[in-house]
Amino acid sequence: MASERPLLVATTPGACNPDDAPSPHPPAASLLPPAQQEPPLRADPLAFSVEVPDPFRPSRRGDGPVDDPSASSQREREVGDNESRAVVVGEPSPEFAGNAIRTAKYSVLTFLPRNLFEQFRRLSYVYFLAITVLNQLPQVAVFGRGASVLPLAFVLFVTAVKDAYEDFRRHRSDRQENNRLASVLAPGTAGDFQPKRWKHIRVGDVVRVASNETLPADMVLLATSDPTGVAHVQTVNLDGETNLKTRYAKQETQVRFSQNGGVSGILHCERPNRNIYGFQANLDIDGKRVSLGPSNIVLRGCELKNTTWAIGVVVYAGKETKVMLNSSGAPSKRSRLETQLNRETVILSIMLIGMCTTASVLNGLWLLNHRGELEFTQFFREKDYTTGKNYNYYGVGMQIFITFLMAVIVYQVIIPISLYISMELVRLGQAYFMGADKDLYDESSRSKFQCRALNINEDLGQIRYVFSDKTGTLTENKMVFQCASIHGVDYSSGEDTGGYSVVVGDNLWTPKMAVKTDPQLVKVLRDSGKNEEAKLVLEFFLALAACNTIVPLVLETRDCNQKLIDYQGESPDEQALAYAAASYGIVLVERTSGYIVIDVLGDRQRFDILGLHEFDSDRKRMSVIVGCPDRTIKLYVKGADSSIFGITNKSSELDIVRATEAHLHKYSSLGLRTLVVGMRELSQSEFEEWQLAYENANTAVLGRGNLLRSVAANIECNIRILGATGIEDKLQDGVPEAIESLRQANIKVWILTGDKQETAISIGYSCKLLTNDMTQIVINNNSKESCQRSLVEALATTKKLTGLASEASRVTIALIVDGNSLVYILETELQEELFKLATECSVVLCCRVAPLQKAGIVALIKNRTDDMTLAIGDGANDVSMIQMADVGVGISGQEGRQAVMASDFSMGQFRFLVPLLLVHGHWNYQRMSYMILYNFYKNATFVLVLFWYVLYTAFTLTTAITEWSSLLYTVLYTSLPTIVVGILDKDLSKATLLAYPKLYGSGQRDEKYNVSLFVLNILEALWQSLVVFYLPYFAYRRSTIDMSSLGDLWALAPVVVVNMLLAMDIFRWNWIIHAFVWGTIAATTICLFVIDSIWILPGYGAIFHIMGTGLFWLLLLIIVVTAMVPHFVIKAFTEHFMPSDIQIAREMEKFKNVNQVNRSEIPMRGFS
Amino acid sequence: MDPFEMQDNSKNSNKPKYSKFTQQELPACKPLLTPAIVISAFLLVGIIFIPVGLASLSASQEIVELIDRYDTTCVPMADKVGYIQDSKTDKSCIRTLTVPKHMKSPIQIYYQIGDFYQNHRRYVKSRSDKQLRYKNAAHFTKDCEPEGYTADGVPIVPCGLIAWSLFNDTYTISVNKKAIGVNKKDIAWQSDKNKKFGSDVYPRNFQNGNLIGGAKLNESIPLSEQEDLIVWMRTAALPTFRKLYGRIETDIMANDQLTVVIQNNYNTYSFGGSKALVLSTTSWIGGKNNFIGVAYLIVGGLCLFLALVFVVLYMFKPRNLGDLSFLSWNRNTLDCPN
Repeated sequence: MASERPLLVATTPGACNPDDAPSPHPPAASLLPPAQQEPPLRADPLAFSVEVPDPFRPSRRGDGPVDDPSASSQREREVGDNESRAVVVGEPSPEFAGNAIRTAKYSVLTFLPRNLFEQFRRLSYVYFLAITVLNQLPQVAVFGRGASVLPLAFVLFVTAVKDAYEDFRRHRSDRQENNRLASVLAPGTAGDFQPKRWKHIRVGDVVRVASNETLPADMVLLATSDPTGVAHVQTVNLDGETNLKTRYAKQETQVRFSQNGGVSGILHCERPNRNIYGFQANLDIDGKRVSLGPSNIVLRGCELKNTTWAIGVVVYAGKETKVMLNSSGAPSKRSRLETQLNRETVILSIMLIGMCTTASVLNGLWLLNHRGELEFTQFFREKDYTTGKNYNYYGVGMQIFITFLMAVIVYQVIIPISLYISMELVRLGQAYFMGADKDLYDESSRSKFQCRALNINEDLGQIRYVFSDKTGTLTENKMVFQCASIHGVDYSSGEDTGGYSVVVGDNLWTPKMAVKTDPQLVKVLRDSGKNEEAKLVLEFFLALAACNTIVPLVLETRDCNQKLIDYQGESPDEQALAYAAASYGIVLVERTSGYIVIDVLGDRQRFDILGLHEFDSDRKRMSVIVGCPDRTIKLYVKGADSSIFGITNKSSELDIVRATEAHLHKYSSLGLRTLVVGMRELSQSEFEEWQLAYENANTAVLGRGNLLRSVAANIECNIRILGATGIEDKLQDGVPEAIESLRQANIKVWILTGDKQETAISIGYSCKLLTNDMTQIVINNNSKESCQRSLVEALATTKKLTGLASEASRVTIALIVDGNSLVYILETELQEELFKLATECSVVLCCRVAPLQKAGIVALIKNRTDDMTLAIGDGANDVSMIQMADVGVGISGQEGRQAVMASDFSMGQFRFLVPLLLVHGHWNYQRMSYMILYNFYKNATFVLVLFWYVLYTAFTLTTAITEWSSLLYTVLYTSLPTIVVGILDKDLSKATLLAYPKLYGSGQRDEKYNVSLFVLNILEALWQSLVVFYLPYFAYRRSTIDMSSLGDLWALAPVVVVNMLLAMDIFRWNWIIHAFVWGTIAATTICLFVIDSIWILPGYGAIFHIMGTGLFWLLLLIIVVTAMVPHFVIKAFTEHFMPSDIQIAREMEKFKNVNQVNRSEIPMRGFS
Repeated sequence: MDPFEMQDNSKNSNKPKYSKFTQQELPACKPLLTPAIVISAFLLVGIIFIPVGLASLSASQEIVELIDRYDTTCVPMADKVGYIQDSKTDKSCIRTLTVPKHMKSPIQIYYQIGDFYQNHRRYVKSRSDKQLRYKNAAHFTKDCEPEGYTADGVPIVPCGLIAWSLFNDTYTISVNKKAIGVNKKDIAWQSDKNKKFGSDVYPRNFQNGNLIGGAKLNESIPLSEQEDLIVWMRTAALPTFRKLYGRIETDIMANDQLTVVIQNNYNTYSFGGSKALVLSTTSWIGGKNNFIGVAYLIVGGLCLFLALVFVVLYMFKPRNLGDLSFLSWNRNTLDCPN
């Protein structure tokens, strides 16, 4: 739309079309910048200065200072020769990376070595490899060569297949991407664009992109279909923001293309880097040096919109493009269970060493006792009589050592190899179900729950602290204009009037969003003619409509006479203000690079934008210099109250300033975001002086940003206050209920916001975090000493209050800390005090905090307690906090994707936190804990059965169980049911968990995984292994039983026993679980049949033989029953006489209707 | 990235599709250990186990078993090892036994060896299953060392310690001075005879070394017919084991005199092992062993007792299932009424 002609002729005679040659004559020309000045600077706030941090980023007004270290380090850095790359425009250069991309990790050739390397980076795999290698030594070999490699090979194979499949998908998408076509200028020609595959594009190629096409590489714009060189791009693939960004071609190159000549020149730009918001380059063209900034570059992956075509020169291609450099995965965190699991692994290792030592020492003793007999002992045969030497016997000491090594191989299973792969598969399954949960799907933004980190699912069930950002997380970040104070008068009674439309020819243009209007204000604006008050009101709305960077887009509707005006902008506040102005009849209709068209109450007027001072977080304001239709030049400024009141006209009406301040206070205590609007009329001389300084600053090579800032500071003074606005940042749906649920679940919710104290407190009230019966402690100081004093006082107060609380009704304390105070507290010895204080309080609100302070607060808790922390946020300023916390959740909302990219989980709404933690977190934790303990138990059972047998084999580590069965035990006989149960079993239904948030406590208290449960499980394994071993032992003592037959019983019995124990502990039996549990027992039997059908093995036919005897079945039955009795007794006893909360809830679920129980006591909440 | 993100076929709407599976709402049964279930489970186990235990016990009791340990008495000298190693002495030994009860045919004759670790690691591995089955596989003796080749370097068939140590005591039995036949056919598993031991494999170079481990084999009988070897090569699971020697297919009456002439050849003396002759009738339970019956009675009785205990417990301290007042947070408020 930007290329459309203006619909009305500008009212100012002589005001120029940007197409016209620059006219040297005043006064009109004086309104226009000279031609040398770069056109983008006239209109593009983004290109205004390269130093401004994150030009893509919406300026988070009222959300506190935003520090982007990467941007600030970029400050003052110009393109030096040593770190630049020179690109000759139009000459493809082979010295830089080509445009082919490769996200795939492996190729067919490198897959095996690289994948193995990746896998063996885990220590546990190295352990298993070492054991496998050990087994290859002939003296030590316990298992056959093939069999011993099997488990490790299986695990490696499964992982490799998973990796290969993922890589195959990446290969496929790479291929598609690389073979897309783009029009590339044939070298040496002018205007001859040939289709070329993306992968063949090289740095230096000149590429032409049409509307809605995707950009193949990072390119510097040379020309666009718009005469002023404007191009709009959508960066949704890059940062997730759906609004259009404006980019510019330099006038110098634009002109060359419009004359249909090729551009030749040399471009010096920085080396490829990851900063999507920064770019610095110089273009040498026609002997002139033109500087280029981030507004001149369009990045790979963006789509060209609303621009018929654009031509650019490729500067970064393929893997050097910014999007590729930024495509790194989320940081890897380790779950708490996994860390705890290491402790148990150590215990098991000690057990392993103990068993091995016992076996080897006993073996040594046996050899000593039988010394001298061994030569004629038939089953030993110490000597080889053909040579007369010892055969395979190296003396007692050596035998002990060899036995020890062999024992390590036999008993290695006690450290479960399959556990690691089981955990991964379970997490994959859990991630699938979390993603598939319709309750975690956000209809409005169409965003699905995503598990970005696959290894901390179970941490979701143990969270004690939630650190939440405010804007965009608790609130929607969809700003709605609520009220205004103009010239000291408060207009805050909004009424729905159905909006305001502009008549353009036959068409009716309506702003997309209607804002409630105050009838009195409308009346003032419409009726009362040209009095002073009305003038000020008009100026106020003109300021709202002009002082922004909004691009109005005219959208077609089904009715061809109706069109919609959509305000595209990067700051939601600006959009809200522009819509508000439009609703009052001051409609921003069009923006081109040099001017804007505003429909002022039906009268279409053109305002020249002569200069724009971009918002930055130091100044906390922005301003525009506008050439008005009546040839006056005005400066409109808007910004934070503190910022504007500092630069007001000293002589301005004090009562009005006072009234405005009072209104501001009122607005912010209503939870509204406030902005103050001011203006100043510039005299011709002031303007000219400013213009000169502005041009100088703009063309400066060094320190452009500082110069521009000082220019802005010079002109932004003596401001007359027009009024103030109050914008509502609506709370997201269900936030108060969600917070209430989290609180019930004993999760402390802290809000960390950049907003002002009043706003933060009012948001605290509106989301029910703060209530009237709370005692508020505010810490808001400006020096270390006073901070210390107030901390000590506050601690004393809390002591007193909590001391009372144990007797009388509970007093809850809310702590409100200001960012200024945090400067003196964090990273100093006062931290400890703050920690003590904060943990006493039930609510903590931190306002005006910088991103790094957010991380500091998370670290405060994380480093001092064992409690799990979760940080949730949506903006770039939450990234550090998200990465610091144990679990980081990103809201994929309005503010781009940086938070999502850094997060472990991402979702659409804050309220999804409740089902995520209370339901999925609870399930994941419960399932994973059970699975780990069960894996320890089942392997210990088996290993102990092996161990008991060794006592009856002269301690020689023979296994009655075939080696295949002992290797398959962990892999096949017992692993599948636990994986399926780990994915599918639910202790409680979703409804129950949501209705009783306190059930979440089981995870917080580590109820499902702790050392005593581990010990209990190992004792259980001990008992069951004794039963499994000794019942057959006594039954078959002094009988004809052979090793293979008894081995089959000893293989089958533990499989049945451990599966029965699992069956006893399963909460919900659906058909899948049935299939896997019983199927596994059947599969084990079939495996035994198969193994015993191989004639080459000694056990040929054994299983058929033993299954034909009644004793076998009698034994199997009594083994299973006897092994289960203690577990059953303990379970029956504890469930009935020491019931856990979960147990009671289960009973309630089964016997009563959840919805009817105690509705009054703990109200039900729906989260769907 | 979410690995499942790409699986949606429609790119416009990535809304999760509703199904009972994806929402984890598959119909499921939720078993709970209610008092009724607990008590009936214990009762059920008790009611099943006690009769089974009694049946097993009576089956075991009905078996008539004669055990005669002869390893010490059959050696007249103090130097037992020297005696047994001397190939010139006549090692026959006569044992007389009285049958206490009527023994119904078939009566199994076992030899029982004590403290012989047929499950010793060195021993178990010392065999070549290929060689046992295929005529041409005689050279597969890798696992058989040191009993793989003769001193001349010819492969031994059957090789390995297990075959080498084949038991070689023999028993000649007469009832009331009247010799009765011992059937030594079909004492090995049919599956072993059919598949595991070749019918065209004949013993070669067997027991030719300096040290004789045990029995020699008739080189004209194929391995599949050498049933003593086949029985012996089913290595026993435990160090004291029995192996089937043969069957008597006539009944023996109570108080009959059994005279057994034992050729006491096998050397268990060098490692202190025992040898015994066992005659036993058969039953469905296998050999005479009261253990399984007693175990069933104990477990069954224990479960009945536990049923009783739980009945008392449930009566003593009843709790309404699903009673919310037992929730931890509700309990706390009950404890401190404030």
